[in-house]
Amino acid sequence: MATMETAQAAAGTDGAMVRLEGVHKRFGTLEVLRGIDLAIDKGQVVCLLGPSGSGKSTLLRCINLLEPPSAGRILLEGKEITGKDAEEGADYVRKRVGMVFQQFNLFPHKCAIDNVCIAQEKVLDRKSDEAQTKAKELLNRVGLEDKMDEFPDRLSGGQQQRVAIARALAMDPRVMLFDEVTSALDPELVKEVLDVMRELAREGMTMVVVTHEIGFAREVGDQVVFMDQGVVVEQGPPAQVLDNPREERTKKFLGLVLEH
Amino acid sequence: MSEIISQYFDFNIMGDHFGQVLDGFWFTIKLSIVGGVLSLIWGLVLSLFRQLPGKAAIPLRILSIAYIDVFRGIPLLLIMLLISGSLPFLPLPDSIAIPQWFGQPDPFWYAVMAITITYGAYMAEVYRAGIEAVPAGQTEAARSLGMSHSQAMRYVIVPQAIRKVIPPLLNDFIALMKDTTLASAIALNEVALVGRDIQSETFNSSALTLGAIMFLVVTLPLARLVDYMIKRQQRRVSRGGGGDDEGEPAGQVAGPLPQAGV
Repeated sequence: MATMETAQAAAGTDGAMVRLEGVHKRFGTLEVLRGIDLAIDKGQVVCLLGPSGSGKSTLLRCINLLEPPSAGRILLEGKEITGKDAEEGADYVRKRVGMVFQQFNLFPHKCAIDNVCIAQEKVLDRKSDEAQTKAKELLNRVGLEDKMDEFPDRLSGGQQQRVAIARALAMDPRVMLFDEVTSALDPELVKEVLDVMRELAREGMTMVVVTHEIGFAREVGDQVVFMDQGVVVEQGPPAQVLDNPREERTKKFLGLVLEH
Repeated sequence: MSEIISQYFDFNIMGDHFGQVLDGFWFTIKLSIVGGVLSLIWGLVLSLFRQLPGKAAIPLRILSIAYIDVFRGIPLLLIMLLISGSLPFLPLPDSIAIPQWFGQPDPFWYAVMAITITYGAYMAEVYRAGIEAVPAGQTEAARSLGMSHSQAMRYVIVPQAIRKVIPPLLNDFIALMKDTTLASAIALNEVALVGRDIQSETFNSSALTLGAIMFLVVTLPLARLVDYMIKRQQRRVSRGGGGDDEGEPAGQVAGPLPQAGV
């Protein structure tokens, strides 16, 4: 349990942006999350590592209630968002938590800029020109100023993913969730997406990143959390978890990932 | 041989009665369009009821499923007879019991009602297939942006689903168009009834053949169009387009997956 104490010390016990307490998630008889405690501080980048099936994506999806936890509590900026005591519902959470998916999930019937505008207009009631201005600014930031009017099928995977990041940022989220966002990309397209995420981290965005990119976790992560079989096995600063793992399972996983 | 030809292809009879048959076919067209549009709308409403989430919507879901099952299981002809034979005797205002809207006779509107009731159920199933074919990631993306269920449906899911179901809906429309001939049983002077009257007058079927030819003039191009649209979708699937149509330079739709070489 020493690792948990370090994490909490690093995160501070109060004022965590996101706090998970004893989060469980069951699908029928399958228990995917078996008691997760985690604190994510404002401005922190937390990287979730682990073998497939370890529950890291499910954990991420619990945070914005795409998967409501079966037990335990999640607090967003100190407000409970889960269970009977929920002060705020899914709509509240999703307006404040952005998410980027492995398969991009851009809306294929809308061009890049409309992908970024639609939720601003329909969810935040922004005026069309206000939403457009915001979208242009964000698409500029992710380096797609010349692709505003392209439809997703005319964009490369890396470009689509950058549109997806801009789309999530347009909602002015407090936290951004990234679910293996480079796993579906051709190797030469990974960097352009990671660069955008690096830039975001530098600007102080709170980020939870499920990734297999160990290099990214080492460079950008403030905390690395290693999960296996629905529990947190080990967590701490990258230098500790990645370079001096204490747990056998972490060593074994890193050995497998870093070998090739 | 010549008997067969004269029985079905007597051009004199066709020529003499061309105007009558065409008038009957005009009813067919009107009935198809009005019934088709109303079925499209009613079918979409039914399928959206069926997709409503949550416990509160359970009664609506069950009602819509029951409706769809029941009216897919009853012949359209029976529905037409049930409506036209009894609606006039129900305690309703005359404007509904014996409708003459837009100058059309009451059998026309009874047929429209029966077609909408029946084909709405068929089309609801087509819409459902289309909605379920939109990848779950689309709903998740919409919901993760804070959209409600109805916003996600309206702005994200249904626009994509409709593109996918245009060919099967057109197929249903062709079937609907042919089924309008059933309205002959409730005394609507459409092409089958006109043709039959001429048949019993002349002891010759050429007027009905003429009606069949008029149908083909409309249904053959429609069938080709459906085929073309399906082929185009398949081409896109094989290119990795994820099953959506369009996406040629003039088009705009693609699947959620990245595409090589674009």
